[in-house]
Amino acid sequence: MNSFAAWLKVFLAVCGAGALLSLALPQRHVPRVVAWLGALAAVALIGLGAGALLAWPPTTTVVWNVPPIGAFILRWDALAGVFLLVTGLVFLPVSIFAANSLPGLLGRYSMRGYGVLYFALLVSVVWTLVSGDVFSFMVAWEIMSILCYLLVNFEHEEEDNRKASYLMLTISEAGALAAALGLLLLAANAGSLDFSQLKASAGTLGGGMRLAIFLLTFFGFGVKAGLVPVNVWLPRAYTAAPAAFVPVLAGATLNLGLYGILRVNADLMPAASVVPGVIALIVGTASALVGILYATTDGDLKTLLAHSSIENAGIITAGFGAGFIFAATGKPALSAFAFLVALYHLANHSLYKTLLFVGAGVVEDRAGTRDLDRLGGLIRLMPWTALAVLAGVLSISALPPFNGFVSEWLTLQTLLRSAELGSGGVKIVFALCGAGLALTAALAVTCFVKLFAMGFLGMTRSSKAEQAKETSLSALGPMAILAVLCLALGVLPTYVIEALDHAVRPIAGSSAADVLVPPFFAGSPGHQDLPPAFAGEFHDLGAQVGQGVAPGRGLVILHRGGTANPVVFAGAPTYLIVVLAGLLVLVFLVVRGTVSRRRTVTRRVCWDGGIRRLLPEMTYTATGFSNPVRVIFDAIFRPTIMEDTRETVGEHFRTAIRRQSETVHVVDRVVLEPARNIAMAVGSVLARMHHGRLNAYLAYALASLLVAFFVFTFF
Amino acid sequence: MNQSELGQEMERRWPGQARYRLDSGGFGEVTCARDVLAQVCGKLFLDWSFSFAGLVVEEGAAEWRLRYLFYGERSAGWVHVLMNAPLDERTIPSIVKFVHAANWHERESEDLFGVLFEGHPHLGDFVLHDDAWQEGVAPMRHQFSAQVRDIERRPNMEWRPRRILEAPGAFAMPIGPVFSGLAESVHFLLETVGEDVIRALPRLFYKYRAIEKIAEGRAIENILLLAERFSATTAFAHALAFCQAVETICRAEVPARGRVLRVFIAELERFRHHVGAIEGICASTALVVAANQTAMLEEELLRVSGTLAGHRYLFGLAVPGGIATDLSDAACLEALRGCHDVLERLNELERMLRVSSSFLDRLEEVGFISEANARVFGLVGPIARASGISRDLRVAQPYEDYGRLKFEVPVEKEGDGYARLRVLFAEARESVSLMEQAVALLSAGRVAAPFQVQAGEALGWVEAPRGAAFHWLHLSEDGTAARYRIMPPSFANWHGFRLSVENFAFQDFPIILSTLDLSVAESDR
Amino acid sequence: MSQWVRKGLRTGIRTTAYPSKPEMAAGVSPGLPLGGDYPADEMAGLTTRCPTQALREVDGKVVVDYCRCVHCYRCQRRLAMPLAWSRDYEWAGTLTAPDPVQSLGSEFRRSIHVIVVDAGDCGACLHEVKQLDNPYYNMHRLGFFITPTPRQADVMLVVGPVTVNMRVAVEKTYNAMPTPKRVVAVGACALSGGVFGPSFVSESGVARVIPVDFEVPGQPPPPLAILHGLLVAVGRRSAASLISPVPVQRAKAGAP
Repeated sequence: MNSFAAWLKVFLAVCGAGALLSLALPQRHVPRVVAWLGALAAVALIGLGAGALLAWPPTTTVVWNVPPIGAFILRWDALAGVFLLVTGLVFLPVSIFAANSLPGLLGRYSMRGYGVLYFALLVSVVWTLVSGDVFSFMVAWEIMSILCYLLVNFEHEEEDNRKASYLMLTISEAGALAAALGLLLLAANAGSLDFSQLKASAGTLGGGMRLAIFLLTFFGFGVKAGLVPVNVWLPRAYTAAPAAFVPVLAGATLNLGLYGILRVNADLMPAASVVPGVIALIVGTASALVGILYATTDGDLKTLLAHSSIENAGIITAGFGAGFIFAATGKPALSAFAFLVALYHLANHSLYKTLLFVGAGVVEDRAGTRDLDRLGGLIRLMPWTALAVLAGVLSISALPPFNGFVSEWLTLQTLLRSAELGSGGVKIVFALCGAGLALTAALAVTCFVKLFAMGFLGMTRSSKAEQAKETSLSALGPMAILAVLCLALGVLPTYVIEALDHAVRPIAGSSAADVLVPPFFAGSPGHQDLPPAFAGEFHDLGAQVGQGVAPGRGLVILHRGGTANPVVFAGAPTYLIVVLAGLLVLVFLVVRGTVSRRRTVTRRVCWDGGIRRLLPEMTYTATGFSNPVRVIFDAIFRPTIMEDTRETVGEHFRTAIRRQSETVHVVDRVVLEPARNIAMAVGSVLARMHHGRLNAYLAYALASLLVAFFVFTFF
Repeated sequence: MNQSELGQEMERRWPGQARYRLDSGGFGEVTCARDVLAQVCGKLFLDWSFSFAGLVVEEGAAEWRLRYLFYGERSAGWVHVLMNAPLDERTIPSIVKFVHAANWHERESEDLFGVLFEGHPHLGDFVLHDDAWQEGVAPMRHQFSAQVRDIERRPNMEWRPRRILEAPGAFAMPIGPVFSGLAESVHFLLETVGEDVIRALPRLFYKYRAIEKIAEGRAIENILLLAERFSATTAFAHALAFCQAVETICRAEVPARGRVLRVFIAELERFRHHVGAIEGICASTALVVAANQTAMLEEELLRVSGTLAGHRYLFGLAVPGGIATDLSDAACLEALRGCHDVLERLNELERMLRVSSSFLDRLEEVGFISEANARVFGLVGPIARASGISRDLRVAQPYEDYGRLKFEVPVEKEGDGYARLRVLFAEARESVSLMEQAVALLSAGRVAAPFQVQAGEALGWVEAPRGAAFHWLHLSEDGTAARYRIMPPSFANWHGFRLSVENFAFQDFPIILSTLDLSVAESDR
Repeated sequence: MSQWVRKGLRTGIRTTAYPSKPEMAAGVSPGLPLGGDYPADEMAGLTTRCPTQALREVDGKVVVDYCRCVHCYRCQRRLAMPLAWSRDYEWAGTLTAPDPVQSLGSEFRRSIHVIVVDAGDCGACLHEVKQLDNPYYNMHRLGFFITPTPRQADVMLVVGPVTVNMRVAVEKTYNAMPTPKRVVAVGACALSGGVFGPSFVSESGVARVIPVDFEVPGQPPPPLAILHGLLVAVGRRSAASLISPVPVQRAKAGAP
């Protein structure tokens, strides 16, 4: 208690100091206040999270008792610890980046406002995560939502920003209402607002009520995560948000939505049937596919990354869904595995998406545009930024040795575990969703090859972008931190799994680390229980290499199954990377030593078919690159307007061909537009009743009285 | 409408401004005032269904002499519309408003003579690429020497291609001039947003050899070499057109055997060319066996030509006045036997191709050109005939012995790649039939007649394998050329090239290109 | 589709035996004039008949410059004393005859990638290069492959006199090729400008623009001559002389 409280106090004190200094100091100093004190607060947050995850036991304290409402309860456990830690890891670089990106807004917008809102948001995020009762949780959630709205709308002079942030506010509020309703239904059953009471009494709920609570909280919290079909606000809001703030949306507040879903449906009210899991799995896969399809075809750097956040939230949700199903069917080990993998992917997504959003902010600042059709060739102008973004691109494309590879690989492995389920129908859902996620992974590679190739390689396609210069340390530093974290989480998965296991064990009731990371190292607990024959088999493959040097259980991820099938899958990213690196060095040395001695290297310009001058407008654009995807998935994109208008002189000499195409997002088209049409239809029927004639209203009153009379008389 | 009606109509419509005269050469000559030039040409082209053959610009001693050539069906004959303008006058009224087929002729003349065509919206960057030549070089003017080697060059380095596609993410994909292994040098700029060619801009004249300029001042036997060799895949046809122009000027009479042999050789060349074009179509659709089979047939026909005439591309045969060397009846029969053998196998391949659905799928409804567009853009040859235009110079304005021979002009309506393929097959059959008839008509006698070189000007025309070819020759008193103008079929057809490739996908591009069978060498000159 | 497979199999092998045996079929070569003795009183009439000055008199003998011959047959037809023509096709050689340019090394003997650049060709040379792909000649059996990119090319075949508008493209293609590389100029235009060059838009041959290693005369050279040029470039065949009072060297069957 004491250490947590101490860290929390430090954190609150730093945030308070930050807010006060932002108010007190001249505007031009605020970016540095945000950078320094924000980073400091983030460090405190990392300590808080790491402690809650690894060291301190779960604790509940009543902070303040307000008689009519109940108690304000502070509660932390390892699950909250994961989210606190990830939030801290995101806020640290993002705060530093503020020093680079905020000064651009100086003079046009109030820096003081930004500083105060920023620190307040930091506190509200932490408060949401450490709330132990429904009331304080929802209050913190609301404050966080409103602060997000204010920060997204920070550049409020732009019409588009105002629209986008307003849309975000309305949809978040609808989501918050639904989630609150779900929590209150749970609370009504328990007769208390305290989370621990909720959890204790959840078993008495009926199936219908459970499903209602699941749907309310899943889609209510899902708004923040951008799940289909409540995702329409997300790309617009992310695009509107200032460069300094948008990484927070993707790296921190998106996670809160997933936290809400997991907290309610895995911890407070664990699933009792497969239905919630199936819904989560399908919604997650659909979000992943829709997200990546729109990301692949979008040409705006920020919007593309926003769509990709929907994709990643979908992957994480699919992992949750698998976990719910395994929990409901009495497979705690697999359920723990699924939750762990989902949390792993959540951490990874936060890190690489923050990295990419920071990179996008730098590119927009330096090259003057976010339009991939107008960028290109930045690798020559901004080599370090390009390197950092490349690390992010490799991570998000799930390529080793970066972190995305491990968590996406494990996610697909989780879905393959459906073989152990009894029900054929659920198996089919698993198979289809697995295929959908595999397609997502392939499209993600296309999408991010496009991002890097069109943004950083080739020729620069606009004169403004040609002037781009490398950014400063205040942006390169944060990107370097994030790139290193991405690499670390990809190289050392066994340690990450062990750490995350702390959070998963209480909610799943089983350890995933025992299943996934066998204690190959002699000193690790449980090593003596490992069957020697089994260990010996892997000994030959080098599973014990590093023993004595590296701490922990081992460096091999290995899923242990039953006796018939002792090893389901195995992989050793750490070894793999060491071996690959060694081979690369070897190849380099061999080439250096043998071939290059006899040959001279001549560099020539790119072969252009012998044309006199290759112009930038003759090279592929991002739109052109992704057009095959647009054509293949025409049924999803289905442009509403697509026409070429021709301008001619003298009938046959064309002076212009204008291609206009407009697309409506598939969710808008398939879900929201029909819903709106129904609402309008109902509304117009109602409006017809209200035509303002007195005798009609008297007739309504009479009819109502008669109905009431009959009801009370006969029932 | 025949010539006398035409003359009356001209006088009635534009009294005093369009003066009609029937030339001794049998063509109508309309001398136009500046103001009515476009209307007169437009009337001929749009209402009286004359085809536009070409524009001949000549720099006279004190004036520009412009000659717009039109031809109709057999009875209508030829109409030459003339307009003169003082040399210091740099603008000429453009006729493209009514005669779109004249578009590239005016652009070419503007580039090479420096004459501005008033009312033409897209002048410049045509023959002399703006990124290689500065403005103001007018190489066809008399003061410009064809032999000057090091012209000072100040190209416009800021030049950019004219792009017209406005769409998010649009770009212009460059292809060539060095591309695709064995393609002729030409550059394409395909404007697109990624899948379909929305606008195609062919950039020709990478192979501009200035045949018309270097011919000036040369004697006819030297120009013959140029006429024969500027487009060697259809060498005999062009040499023949040139020889006809010379023969018309010098009033030379080709002996009967020479005329028949000319038909025989011309049809052998057409047959060989069409087999090659069919080979190109099969190869572009990746139908390997058919491509190899047709390639073998083409090689066999090249060998037949080589055996018959010494040269695989029939060089050195056509001479003004007849044929350079007598080909014996036996050699002709031997060649005909070879052609029969090839035709038999070609017919079998056609039967097989007609049931190869994967092949037909890639040709049908691909590269469509409508009849109206084919006419407006002035397309000629098998391309035009596949779009429903039956005009063929061998029938419309017969030359040599074609008037005596029986043959059909195959026409298809669809205007797509498959229609063009069918036309090629049908024309190949007709060619062999014509060769049979020619061999039957062979009589003993000389193959060439001597003649006296005279001054004068005349037009020679042939239906070359790729379509109507026109050679205008003006011989001066010393027997050398004062002006030599070639209006080849590929030049006319490249003009309509964009019609067929736009709004089709990239993967159709090489197939459409092969069905059009356009020659760059022939067009670029 | 099986009809095509059957058709292909039924056709059998039609490929020439060259270079192991000479090709004897008629019509495979347009021939070249042979030099040699000629009556002195008709010599002037003969040499002026040649429109490209390919014929010269040296010591009372006719000397033929094969780089200039364009197959007009004017020294053969409609002439009292026609010049003899060979029907040979092994024409490829180097102008720097005594000290020949080195052919590509032995590692290139079995796989050569060729880029063909049309530098203003009339269509015939290109067409004859294309014939190398047909089953009668099938250059693939000898390890020659056409590539569309200079990046993969070992040999550059250039046809045409090099027009002004193609000059940059020719230079760029040459520069884009990796070393070792060889340039083979194909056809009279590429060797001497032919009937087109030199003029204000045409060079007098490829050698004016990029270094040429091997030359194949003829307008157009028949496919077998071009094949001979490729074989010379890789050192699998010996070169012929391009200037000759002597009849063109006739290759022995199977000779290296």
